[in-house]
Amino acid sequence: MFVNITIPNWSDFAHFVPEAIMFGAFLLALMGDVIVRGRKPVVPFLITLLGALAALYYSFASPPVGDAGVLGSLVMIDSFAGFFRIVFSFVAVVTILFSWSSEEIMGSTREHKGEYYALIALMTGGMMVMAEARDLVMLFMSMELVALTSYVMAGYMRNSLRSTEASLKYVIFGAVSSGIMLFGMSLLFGMTGQMTFVGIRDALVANPVNDLSMLVVLIMIMAGFGYKIAMVPFHFWCPDVYEGAPTPVSAFFSVGPKAAGFALMIRFFFTVFQPIVDTIDWPLMIAILSAVTMTYGNIVAVKQTNVKRLLAYSSIAHVGYLLMGFLLLTPGGLQAILFYLLVYAVMNLGAFMFVSAINNSIKSEELSDYAGLGFRAPWASVMMFIFLVSLVGLPPAAGFIGKLYLFTEVLREGWYWLAIVGVLNSVISLFYYMQIARAMYFEKVPEDAPAVKIAPLHYVTMALLAVPTLILGLYWSEFKAIADQAIAGF
Amino acid sequence: MTFVTDSILSWVTFLPLAGALLILLFARKDNIARLIAMGVAVADFILSLHLWFHFDNANAADQFTELVPWLANGKINYSMGLDGVSLLLVLLTTFLGPLVILSTWSAIKHRVAESMAFLLFLQTAMIGTFLARDMLLFYVFWEAMLIPMYFIIGIWGGERRIYAAVKLFIYTMAGSLLMLVAILYMYSQAGTMSLDGFMSLNIPAEQQMWLFLAFTLAFAIKVPLFPFHTWLPDAHVEAPTAGSVILAGILLKMGTYGMLRFSIPLFPSAAIEFGPWFAVLAVIGIIYGALVAMVQKDVKKLVAYSSVSHLGFVVLGLFSLTAAGVAGGIYQMLAHGLSTGALFLLVGVIYERRHTRLISDFGGLAHQMPVYASIFLFVTLASIGLPGLCGFAGEFMVLFGSFSSTLLPHAKLLVILSSTGVILGAIYMLWMYQRVFLGKLANEANQSLKDMSLREIFVLLPILIFIIVLGILPGPFLEKIEPSIDRLLTPVLELRQETPADHHITIPHTNESHDSQTEMEIH
Amino acid sequence: MMEVGLTHYLTVGAILFTLGIFAVMTRRNTVALLMGVELILNGANVNFVAFSRFVETSIDGHIMAAFVIVLAAAEAAVALAIVLAMFRNFGTVHVDSVDSLKQ
Repeated sequence: MFVNITIPNWSDFAHFVPEAIMFGAFLLALMGDVIVRGRKPVVPFLITLLGALAALYYSFASPPVGDAGVLGSLVMIDSFAGFFRIVFSFVAVVTILFSWSSEEIMGSTREHKGEYYALIALMTGGMMVMAEARDLVMLFMSMELVALTSYVMAGYMRNSLRSTEASLKYVIFGAVSSGIMLFGMSLLFGMTGQMTFVGIRDALVANPVNDLSMLVVLIMIMAGFGYKIAMVPFHFWCPDVYEGAPTPVSAFFSVGPKAAGFALMIRFFFTVFQPIVDTIDWPLMIAILSAVTMTYGNIVAVKQTNVKRLLAYSSIAHVGYLLMGFLLLTPGGLQAILFYLLVYAVMNLGAFMFVSAINNSIKSEELSDYAGLGFRAPWASVMMFIFLVSLVGLPPAAGFIGKLYLFTEVLREGWYWLAIVGVLNSVISLFYYMQIARAMYFEKVPEDAPAVKIAPLHYVTMALLAVPTLILGLYWSEFKAIADQAIAGF
Repeated sequence: MTFVTDSILSWVTFLPLAGALLILLFARKDNIARLIAMGVAVADFILSLHLWFHFDNANAADQFTELVPWLANGKINYSMGLDGVSLLLVLLTTFLGPLVILSTWSAIKHRVAESMAFLLFLQTAMIGTFLARDMLLFYVFWEAMLIPMYFIIGIWGGERRIYAAVKLFIYTMAGSLLMLVAILYMYSQAGTMSLDGFMSLNIPAEQQMWLFLAFTLAFAIKVPLFPFHTWLPDAHVEAPTAGSVILAGILLKMGTYGMLRFSIPLFPSAAIEFGPWFAVLAVIGIIYGALVAMVQKDVKKLVAYSSVSHLGFVVLGLFSLTAAGVAGGIYQMLAHGLSTGALFLLVGVIYERRHTRLISDFGGLAHQMPVYASIFLFVTLASIGLPGLCGFAGEFMVLFGSFSSTLLPHAKLLVILSSTGVILGAIYMLWMYQRVFLGKLANEANQSLKDMSLREIFVLLPILIFIIVLGILPGPFLEKIEPSIDRLLTPVLELRQETPADHHITIPHTNESHDSQTEMEIH
Repeated sequence: MMEVGLTHYLTVGAILFTLGIFAVMTRRNTVALLMGVELILNGANVNFVAFSRFVETSIDGHIMAAFVIVLAAAEAAVALAIVLAMFRNFGTVHVDSVDSLKQ
């Protein structure tokens, strides 16, 4: 039994600069935290911030050229990966900056605060690898790397009941669903004898398998992906985890791992798509999942009184919108998904950041405590309003353009009922997003309302997100082009 | 000045927005904010006069056009244009703008800077909606109108303002999202968002039906057409005076404008097929609105329901698909904007003094406030369509055009039914007037009421002047819209193999006759 | 003498997987629950190795199994740490008694 294995060259690592930076930042930050002891973890903060900035700069300045299959067949560094590098390093920069002034993270109840920043760097690197994996081994490993890190981050406030419960639920749901996915992958490996996505496709084309086994495998694998992106019916963890975890962490979770999950899903299904379509009615399945996910998320969100939980349900609804682009896995649909992910990252991070900034000051996330916030914290509220408008999908904010592309694609493919469902869902979502705006602007400021103080750094980070939310709504050609190019590389 | 006149439409559109930002960022003191807002609104009106004087009446196509590539390699453009229909509505907007701002002087006392900014922002969105010639641009302006209106009602409104604001938002949003789906569908077919591109699409009749319904439903909610009108009374009653004036004066016209600009020319066969249904709804609305107005106890609610009735005439005129009917509809839009706007301002005057609008709280006000009473009477007469005032010509042309319509089944029956609306209109308005102003000054609280202040008179004076001008001189206005109407109706008429001339109205020039009644004749 | 073939291995894998799922669904003790997860992972491991041996003669499946074993250890470490935190905060390792977040 002799197998030909390509031994990776050292030169391959030239393709891994942003990942190497993030993993390096992780190690350095951990060491820095041990060596330099202070009241505040300045060293880990600076190391990870600079690392994320460097990764962001590098991802922009030298995007991957062509398709480089690196480390044997494990990963693929192409423009698709390049796109996600930009998204993830941007998300990391914003989260790191924001966390520095967050009470939940930097409050006095926790020692070794530097670990937090190190974990963000590790997770960012892991997400980047997720977008590059093209082999079952790498797929599983990168997903687990991100998952393990996120379990720890969810339970970061280890003396808080809510935080502990969040991480417990996260770890149990996560472990089970990834176990099921692994079992599905083992069956897929058995059917094809291949580990790479391309190999699996070719083997399936050469020897088609029967419908039932394909369906079983697909459902098992979808359990893993569905958990990662919080798709109904694998969403149960999502509201509890987002509500319980520290808010900056929830913000990070709601965009980072979710986008990474989509990236992995796109690469996997886009590659092995043809044999799957031949055996099962894929578009119908996705259409139903999409409709159910968005409707569930929106309808449950209407009843919420905790803003963080409301945003958690709304993020489930957004997964439903995103899935619309997944119907036929056409380049147009995938480009729409990528662009929406970019927009979603910006606006959803912003909304969570606002919740966190307010929580810092008034120690509440309840909608009723948001009364008159528009006049107690005018600038922050204006930015929140921009995020909300964008989340609804109203012009002139970015969310409108994102939905525009998704809906256009659905209509072009002739799924009219799905477009109508999507539109009706937007109306439902308008209702609960405007509940927040309503509380902020239309309700009288209570007499005994505590003063709202927002840290300067929070203003800066929120502005970093609010400005692109508006710009992407009015001028998005350049950014759409990046998303388009990412798919063109496939 | 050429840099202004070269892109005059953009200047007219975005000047208020610039003013709004200026106020928000630098001038948050109440009085300074008011002055800046007033200055900007007046400047905008002056700029828009340029359009009136340089408009080429003979040219049916869009004028002052601007085209800047925006996105997606020229598939989506910043494209603005102005034809006769847009011209009159833009002028109505810029004309009411300063008056509305002036009317808030004493009505809005808290968060003044924000209110001024929202009013100006709203003005930009409204003007942009009338001028956009790219569907995406149109949609952006269209939705952008909602946000300031939501805040104006929600922050400065009355008792149940939150309910009213949310209802307005959700109703109109639901409609316009369906329109968005239709726009996106057409975009995927045409490969461009430009209105011309949409016009040149040859859509099969069956698809036209769905697209027409999606568009027209969005507009019908905005008009609002019976049975989609339930948001209107709530919004009007809860809105502050300024909000009501804009809502009645301009925002409602968006719906009818959209029908004329998009529903009818884009989907001619569906317009012929389904137009009559909307005409029937319009007639139901005319009578229903009038009957419900009659039993209202609240003056403002009465005026709100009268809007439902008046706009029914507009929709009836549009879907008569005759040049006379459409021209009458547009004229009625202008007239309704002026007279109902004035009525809301007048209701605001008394509400500010007494903080009630119930008819039963008043009576005999004419003794105490003679100026107010006479202005109110004048506007009331204009609203019920007294010949010589603005309300008459429009309603008359609508009825006249519909009567001769060949595309509207049972046209004569519909016209007869809707004429009862005119009579009912006279009844409820005059009856309300009688109960509020005539008789004895019974209520103690009304005995110390002060008559209108100079500022209040000054707000209303321009409107009163134009009520008379529109009443006796329709010619200059009609001759501006006539070629545009022919152009908009061309697809429908082509479909019926009729030349536009068959339904042509000629408007004698002003030097021949000033009597509106004889100004129309059908060849 | 019966030869042990692919089917036997797959049966073992499937039994392990099913037992794992059963444990996850019925046990309310967090530690037992995590043991169920281990069973699921090992069921998959048996499959990987068996397929690697019988279907496609390669070491791909073996490599995967080795990775999964390492990963299972890491996961257990993280999960048990979280269970520890749970015990400290809630005084129990029973899943149902953890309900500080609203449902």
